[in-house]
Amino acid sequence: MRHKRGFSMERKKARWGWVFVTPSLILFAAFSFYPIINAFYESFFNRNLLSLRPPSFVGWNNYTYLFRSKEFWLSVQNTLIFTGGTFLPLLVFSLILAVFIMSISRFRRFFQMAFYSPAVLSSVVAAMIWLLIFDPRGLANQGMNSLLGTAGVNYNWLSTTTMLRLSTIIVYFWKYIGYFTVLFVSGIGSIPDTLGEAALIDGANRWTMFWYVTFPLLKPTTLLVSIMTMIQCLKTFSTQYMFTSAGAPTRPINVITLSIYNTAIKDYRIGRATAMSILLFIVMFAFTWLQLKVSRTEDVSHM
Amino acid sequence: MNANKTRAWYLEKTFTALMWLFLAGACLAVIIPLAFMFTASAMPARDILKMPYPWIPDGIYWQNFWNALRGPEGTFIFARNAFNSLLVSGTVAFFTVIFSSLAGYGLAKFKFKGRNLVFMLIMATMMIPFEAIMIPLYMVAMRMGLQDTYAGLILPFLANAFGVFLMRQYLITFPDEILDAARIDGASEPRIFGSIVMPSSGPAIATLAILAFRSQWDSLLWPLLVVQSDEMKTIPLYITKFMAETHSDEGIMMAVAVMASIPMIVLFLTLSKYFVNTEGLTSATKG
Repeated sequence: MRHKRGFSMERKKARWGWVFVTPSLILFAAFSFYPIINAFYESFFNRNLLSLRPPSFVGWNNYTYLFRSKEFWLSVQNTLIFTGGTFLPLLVFSLILAVFIMSISRFRRFFQMAFYSPAVLSSVVAAMIWLLIFDPRGLANQGMNSLLGTAGVNYNWLSTTTMLRLSTIIVYFWKYIGYFTVLFVSGIGSIPDTLGEAALIDGANRWTMFWYVTFPLLKPTTLLVSIMTMIQCLKTFSTQYMFTSAGAPTRPINVITLSIYNTAIKDYRIGRATAMSILLFIVMFAFTWLQLKVSRTEDVSHM
Repeated sequence: MNANKTRAWYLEKTFTALMWLFLAGACLAVIIPLAFMFTASAMPARDILKMPYPWIPDGIYWQNFWNALRGPEGTFIFARNAFNSLLVSGTVAFFTVIFSSLAGYGLAKFKFKGRNLVFMLIMATMMIPFEAIMIPLYMVAMRMGLQDTYAGLILPFLANAFGVFLMRQYLITFPDEILDAARIDGASEPRIFGSIVMPSSGPAIATLAILAFRSQWDSLLWPLLVVQSDEMKTIPLYITKFMAETHSDEGIMMAVAVMASIPMIVLFLTLSKYFVNTEGLTSATKG
C-alpha cells in the first residue's frame, strides 16, 4: 500500500516536471530548432525576398557560388583579421591588468570598475563616441600628433583599409578589456594564497611565481576566455554596421555578419544569405563545442 | 647579505611603482572616451571641434539635451523610442526569468523520463548563434505577422538556454527536505515554486534579469530586421538613423549617447556585483 502511494507520487512529480519545462521547450522549438532546421533547408533554394515566384531547388549552388565568390572570401578574411587582431591583444592585456590588480593592495575594486566601465555602454553608443574621436579633427589625430610630435597629420582612421580595420579593433578592445580583466581577476582570486606563500618561502620572486605558479593555474580560465573572445569576435556586427552607415568604406570591414545582413536585406537573396549563415554556424558550433568540452575537462582543483 | 636585501628591496619598490604607473595609465586611456562623451554632451558643437579639445565645458549646454529629445522634426520620437527600448528590455528580462526558473526548477528537482534529453536539447541551443539563424527567424516572424510589432521584438528572446542552465545550477543544491515538507503540508507545486523557490533565488534572478535586460538594450541586428516604422524603433535603431541623417551636430550626438546610457549607468552603479557573472562562469567550469 505504502509502496503504491509512493509510486503514484513519483508519477505525479514527473508530470509536474514536464509542466515546468514545457513553456521553455515550446519557445526553443519555435525560435531555435525550427529556424536552424529551416536554415539548412532554405540554403538549397534560391528564394528572393521580394519575388512572388516560388523558390526553386538549386542543390549546392548557393554554396559553390560562395566558394567561388571573391566578396565572400573577402568577408571571411575581414572577419579573421578582426578576430586575430582583437583576440590576442585582449587576452594578453587583460591577463597583465588582472595580475597587476591582484598584486597591489589597494584600489583593486576601483580599477576593476574603471576598466569595466566601457562595457556598460551599448555597442552602438560606443561606436558613436569613437566615430567622433576618429574624426579628422578629433581626439585620435590630436593624441597621435602630440604623441609623435607631428603637427596636423591626418591618420585617416576611417578611410584607409588598414586604419579602418585598426579602428574597429580599437573600439572592440576598449569595450571588452574590462570584462576579460574581471574574469581573470576572479580566476586569480580562486587560487589559494597558501600556494603563493609557499612559493615565496621557497625563494621565488614575482616573475618566477607568476610563470610557474599563477599562470599554469590560470590555464583553464585562459582557455575559456580565449574561446569566448573568439566566438564574440566572429559574430561582430554593430561597430562595423555603424561605421559603414556613417560613411566609412564597406569593403575593408565587411565582416561575415554584415555581409549576411546585406545579402538578405539589400540584395534580397535569402538562399545565399542562409548558406552563409550555415557556414558561420558550423564554424561557431565547433568553437562552442570546444568551449563546453574545455570547461568540462579543464577543471583544475587547487587543493 | 644586507646589501643584497636592500637591492631586492629597491627592485621590489621599482616594480611596484611601475605597476601602479601602468595601471593608472591604462585606466586613463580607458576613461578618456567616456570623459569625452560626458564633456562633449555639455558643449555646443563649435567647442567640441576646437583643436585642441577643451576638456572643461563652460557650464552645461542644456540645448543639446533638449534638441536630442525633440529630434530634428520636433516629434519627440526619441522619447517614444526610449520607451520602446525600456518596454522590450523589461518584458524580455521579466519573462526570461520566469521561463528560465520554471525550466531550471523542473530540471533540477523533478525526475522524469527524458529529463536528460530535454536538458541536452536546451544546452544544444547554446551552440546555435543568433547571427546564424537570424534570416530564417526573420522569415518565421514575417509568416507569423510579427513584423513591426512588440511581439516580434520580444518573442524570440524569451527562451534563454544560458538562463535555464544558470537557474538549474543554482537550484540543484536547494534542499529537497524543504520542498517535501511543503508538499506534506499540502502546498501545491505551483505554490511551492512561487512562494518558496522563487523568493530564495534572488542572486541568480538578479544576474539573469540584468543579463537579459542589457542584451536587449544593446540589441541592434534583430530590431534592424524586424522593425520598419519610426514609432516602433528602439534606441539603437534611433541612433543609427540619427547618425545617417544629421551627421552635423556633435553636441546633440553626445547628448543622445549620454541619455541612451543612463539606465545602464544607473544599473551598474547600484547593482555592479551582478554585472559580470563570474559565478555562472565558474559553475560552468565545474559542469
